[in-house]
Amino acid sequence: MLFFRSEEHIERWCTTWRLDKGALIPLAQGWELAKVWYGEDRREPSWRRRTLEETEAVFAQLGFTSDFWNLR
Amino acid sequence: MSDDQTRWHVYDVTMREGAPPLRARLAELLDLSDEEALASLRRLAAARMLVLQPGTEEILMAGPFSAVPTPFRVTLKAFSCYANCIWDALGIAATMQVDAEIDTSCADCGAFASISVHSGEVLGDGFMHFALPPRLWWQDIVFT
Repeated sequence: MLFFRSEEHIERWCTTWRLDKGALIPLAQGWELAKVWYGEDRREPSWRRRTLEETEAVFAQLGFTSDFWNLR
Repeated sequence: MSDDQTRWHVYDVTMREGAPPLRARLAELLDLSDEEALASLRRLAAARMLVLQPGTEEILMAGPFSAVPTPFRVTLKAFSCYANCIWDALGIAATMQVDAEIDTSCADCGAFASISVHSGEVLGDGFMHFALPPRLWWQDIVFT
């Protein structure tokens, strides 16, 4: 996941590299995602990767509901 | 020895020093042979808890931390380190639960950008771009 100054810069970059435009997320929303995703201490014995269902719940909680975020 | 212990040591070193340990150090910490440490790392990588470097099979990513320099430098009070991507740069602040300064640049124009996490808030303008949908992330996690 790369950082861009603006949506215009994302579109130009995608054109340059012949890539489809993906999902763009403002930094503030990205911070919310980072807190949920990485907020746990991975040294904890109880830590494990999220199941597909748990990941879907995280995306839904943050409003990532478009087909782009569909895991199935 | 369990893979949980391996993961604990990987993250203990990483979270105290800012970069994942080399396998030789990990083997020493775990009192394992190199072969046993490698086997444990391979299992963790197969479980998508770590990413190993092609060839050497040293740790490349212990998310959100990177073992190699990247365009996402994160400075905390305790150390400076590198993240795998802009999301992981924010993730380092989240997992360490401390303030952070992120130095990066726009992937299109190269303009420098400084992003701060201070008292639980992110300060800075711009966007993260997810080029691939999450169902494809692990097909090529380095590109992702």
